[in-house]
Amino acid sequence: MAAKQTVRKAEEKPAAEKIKKQETVNAVPDLDAYSNFYNREQSWLLFNGRCLSEARDSKIVPLFERLKFLSITQSNLDEFFMVRIASLKDQLHAGYQGVDIAGLTPGKQLEALSAQVHDFVGLQYSTYNRSLIPALDKAGLVVISDYQELTEEQNKYLDMYFEEEIYPVLTPMAMDSSRPFPLIRNKTLNIGALISDKKAEGLGKKGKKKKETLEFATVQVPSVLPRIIELPDGSEGKKTVILLEEVIRKYLGILFQHYDVVCSAAYRIMRNADLTIDEDEAEDLLIEIQKQIRKRQWGEVIRLEVDETIDKRLLRILKKEFAIEDSDIYPIAGPLDLTFCMKLYGLPGFEKYKEPPYTPAPVPEFREDEDIFTSIRRQDILVHHPYMTFDPVVNFVRTAAKDPDVLAIKQTLYRVSGHSPIIAALAQAADNGKQVTVLVELKARFDEEHNIAWAQMLEKAGVHVIYGLLGLKVHSKITMVVRREEDGIRRYVHLGTGNYNDSTARLYTDLGLFTCDEAIGQDATAVFNMLSGYSEPDRWYKLLVAPIWLKNDFLKMIRREADNAAAGRPAFIKAKMNSICDPVIIKALYEASMAGVKIDLLVRGICCLKVGIPGISENITVRSIVGNFLEHARIFWFHNNGEDELFMGSSDWMPRNLDRRVEIVFPVESEALKLEVRHILETEFEDNVKAHVMRADGSYEKIDKRGKALINSQAIFCKEAWSKVKKKQNPTEGRRFTPAKTASENRE
Amino acid sequence: MSVTTFAAIDIGSYNISMEIFELTRKNGLRSLNRVRQSLELGHDTFVLKRISMERLEELTRILLDYRDIMKEYGVSGFRACAKSAFREAGNMYLALDHIYRATGIKIDVLSNSEQRFLGYKSIASRGEEFEKFIEKGTAIVDVGGGSIQISLFDKDSLVTTQNILLGSLRVRERLAAFEKETIHYDRLVEQLIHRDIANFKRMYLKNRKIENIILVGDYFTNLIFQNRSDLNKTESRETFMKWYDHVVSGSPKDIAEELGISSEMSTVLLPMAVLYRTLIDELQVETIWLPGIQLTDGIAYDYGEKKKIIRSNHNFEQDILKAAKNMARRYAGNKAHNEAIVAAANEIFGTVKKIAGLDPRANLLLSVACCLHDCGKYISLVDVAECSYNIIMATEIIGLSEKERRIIANVVRYSTTEIPDYQELRKTELLGEDDYMQVAQLAAILRIAISLDRSMLQKMEKLTAVKKDRELILTVSTGEDFTLEKGIFMENADFFEEIFNIRPVLRMKGGR
Repeated sequence: MAAKQTVRKAEEKPAAEKIKKQETVNAVPDLDAYSNFYNREQSWLLFNGRCLSEARDSKIVPLFERLKFLSITQSNLDEFFMVRIASLKDQLHAGYQGVDIAGLTPGKQLEALSAQVHDFVGLQYSTYNRSLIPALDKAGLVVISDYQELTEEQNKYLDMYFEEEIYPVLTPMAMDSSRPFPLIRNKTLNIGALISDKKAEGLGKKGKKKKETLEFATVQVPSVLPRIIELPDGSEGKKTVILLEEVIRKYLGILFQHYDVVCSAAYRIMRNADLTIDEDEAEDLLIEIQKQIRKRQWGEVIRLEVDETIDKRLLRILKKEFAIEDSDIYPIAGPLDLTFCMKLYGLPGFEKYKEPPYTPAPVPEFREDEDIFTSIRRQDILVHHPYMTFDPVVNFVRTAAKDPDVLAIKQTLYRVSGHSPIIAALAQAADNGKQVTVLVELKARFDEEHNIAWAQMLEKAGVHVIYGLLGLKVHSKITMVVRREEDGIRRYVHLGTGNYNDSTARLYTDLGLFTCDEAIGQDATAVFNMLSGYSEPDRWYKLLVAPIWLKNDFLKMIRREADNAAAGRPAFIKAKMNSICDPVIIKALYEASMAGVKIDLLVRGICCLKVGIPGISENITVRSIVGNFLEHARIFWFHNNGEDELFMGSSDWMPRNLDRRVEIVFPVESEALKLEVRHILETEFEDNVKAHVMRADGSYEKIDKRGKALINSQAIFCKEAWSKVKKKQNPTEGRRFTPAKTASENRE
Repeated sequence: MSVTTFAAIDIGSYNISMEIFELTRKNGLRSLNRVRQSLELGHDTFVLKRISMERLEELTRILLDYRDIMKEYGVSGFRACAKSAFREAGNMYLALDHIYRATGIKIDVLSNSEQRFLGYKSIASRGEEFEKFIEKGTAIVDVGGGSIQISLFDKDSLVTTQNILLGSLRVRERLAAFEKETIHYDRLVEQLIHRDIANFKRMYLKNRKIENIILVGDYFTNLIFQNRSDLNKTESRETFMKWYDHVVSGSPKDIAEELGISSEMSTVLLPMAVLYRTLIDELQVETIWLPGIQLTDGIAYDYGEKKKIIRSNHNFEQDILKAAKNMARRYAGNKAHNEAIVAAANEIFGTVKKIAGLDPRANLLLSVACCLHDCGKYISLVDVAECSYNIIMATEIIGLSEKERRIIANVVRYSTTEIPDYQELRKTELLGEDDYMQVAQLAAILRIAISLDRSMLQKMEKLTAVKKDRELILTVSTGEDFTLEKGIFMENADFFEEIFNIRPVLRMKGGR
């Protein structure tokens, strides 16, 4: 099931040869040519660039929202290093010479990425220093970047604050012949210093000046303390803050009392956090993952960020101890780890510089006077988060847990929130004697520990917990409730594009479908049978399931559009996803484009597909929406010669989704819901505020809005969600022709 | 609406399947869930002649899992059936006991005929579809891991059904030692099975034209045209051959990958494909029907019928009776005589069933016994009872369990000879006390019925049976001399009275 196409050997088909081949055989374009694809990592960097562009957009994006975007670019980049760059480094160390979809070896990719990331970081900090800090200052928020700028009053305040709050939790560590270089934890912020023994000063034996002996010392900036410290400020309506590391730097001398602090600088490392789990050999997946998580703290250092003013001697020590190359060292022109910008965003008193908070609307189809199962029995129900509340999803499990007619609840969990009400409901259901089966994906990256804890808690509560599948990640989002009703067993199913996470459901745009369709119920049963280790089904009635089946299903539908176009019938594909980088799917799309199929894609993140390649992808457009909410839904619309087929699901068009994960893509069949989903896609394609359009050279640009009405799809959906509620409450509102009430009705 | 949820478990040679059904009068059967786990019990039985402890433990684990799944659907009844992998295992009883103690699941070990009958029932439950299909010469071929069952239909009636001990797993195990010596494994399989199929053809097919074949019983049958829309469809021989060539030319690994099955399973697929192809070739079949059903459908259907939730248009008891009549014909039975006995026995049965606690199934067994009561004459006129007993015990009758066949054989045996005490009988027969009683009751009825046509001239025009106090009044309308029958009747009346505590009394209307 591995994506054979992506592991081609460089020597088999050098990129140059491929390009040449394409040039000479013009009649039949070589769709395999490396020049037809973008490298996925570089494409991802472009996505992060689009997030950064939001942080830079002073015209449309409110000031504090820009801080949020800057923070996001930082956390994105950290994860990119820990996983993607780490993986490329692993390949390089292993001597792997295969090339990617764009014909680049790991070495070439790392070389290109290093240059791009350096430029990107430069842009992040110019945004911070030149654009955001002055604007914040104007708005009344002063961020002190150097402790020497502090007023006397502020100094006094900090003296006390340091002594009482910070000092007790600091652990300074020095390195000398008896004390080895300490373990520096991944992603932590640290202050490194060179210190010299005060006693060693003065003249030596022969009256010569002693050579200064410098020792390395380091102290971790404690993560238990707030990174931002509010300082007293005499001026009205102003807030002044300083960063924790700057305060520690100020008092560094106190930590090393018999030493002089010669120089100090903040630094941060990023380690390889990609777990290598030998699932076939692992006797207990849970224990194996726990072991690997512990190893993360010792992973290879793949990035070192240092204050750009760092003393060269200090840098030399860090470089040696972390065994890192120059290209992986990032001198930073400002505070390290910009995720603190999210804390700045959270400071009260600046509401006018933020988007007004949005309260998700209730889902009108779920009536207050009836239980959730009755509502679902009446019709399939679509929920669009975060415009609509996530409550029905939680209520679905909660109600099932208590309902005496419910026999069983089954669910897959990938990422859940810290205090998940869903987990609590599942545990309660087990306690109430329901048969509860939950697949907790232990391999969900960076949520492994979290998920292990949930899995163990659920197991204690009597839930049958499945710890994922060997060799596959279960990424599907599905819940099934088996209920005994008067006319027999009925299965209620919720299928989603996003995680069962009530926290992220307020930030990510996702779609969910509640249904009790018999065929979907059968398929849902088969999915859980498969996940429980029972047989794979002989057939799927309605669901498209990865691995094994989904990719072929998609290819068939793409090729059907191509056949229709070739036969002169109308044909189009509109799809929305997070990423597209599966070479087989991309080639099928190229072929469809060549046949005349109009293909419009909304790809938020990675896109290895190129638009506008003459004779290949001229019928393809790619847009990316980066808005206040994270675009996360996956929707697929195939025209099918007028009999439109719409699907939604958890899968992107990436090899990992199609070949190495369990994913579910489900059809939207009700005509009313089809219209709703089409409307969502169409509105997003019309977005000219938050959409970026891919150009033929691979870059993205925002749409020229001059002379056009502004269309911000996310803002539209917010309004629509609430107007739908109002419409249900007052069905006649907005109607031009409202029948007059009779006299008796008026009396009532 | 009354809804019953039922689980059918099929313990096969290489798969343990469970299907959960919902049964309602309105909608019949509705499948809610189907699960399957691979377990090569057949490998143990066919090679080692017993089920290993390791596999037994695995089976226990699977059945415990299945119990949990039953709870998910609020199952109110279940039936677990095992087939040849248990039937032929030397440690069958120990294994059954082990499973029962560990899981609380009592496994029914089906006789081959019971097993095939359940499969056949599920196809026939397709109603019109099935009836239409069997209008032309049709063979139902049920390939399991241990054996193949071929049932022939001609003009919508079941002609014969035969079991050949060549299942896919059995063939694989038998050829395992030689497999590496040839690159033409398919030919090896072909040669192994050719003789049996040719014999079957010669004995039962004669000049019958078989146009259709129905492939059932095995989960592999669903893999043949693996495509969402192909299940429950008919296909031409050409399409089948394309699939066959594809399977035979591919390596087990490729086939496994393509069909999404394990490599081990794919090694069973090849012998199965060759079995199917040989049959299709030998029978010169034109159309193939894959109804997409399995034994679990039959188990559930049977349960629904017994609970009177499902009523079939097809009369399965008639099939059993027809099979018995065909058997009687093969052994030169007197058709008119047998029919007269069946009629008389049914009349008597109808009157005594309540007081004796006899159910309709007992009536069927009695009818079969009537048809076969003197089949032993074909072998010996001296020892008819014993010969009839031996013939019945050696011949499978579709739809009857091993025990039922034994009851029938004993009913026939003791319809002319004295029945021994239970203690004596149990020395040679695997029958319980209740079964013994049933043998005695049915034999008593059969004796009276035989006596009423002792001359084999069907002298009775009409027979009515009425119970009056402690008498069973049998009123015979006849215009002929009934002296012989009366005499024989009197000889058997004591035995009847001893069994039912009712004195049979013969009254004549007309005649002498």
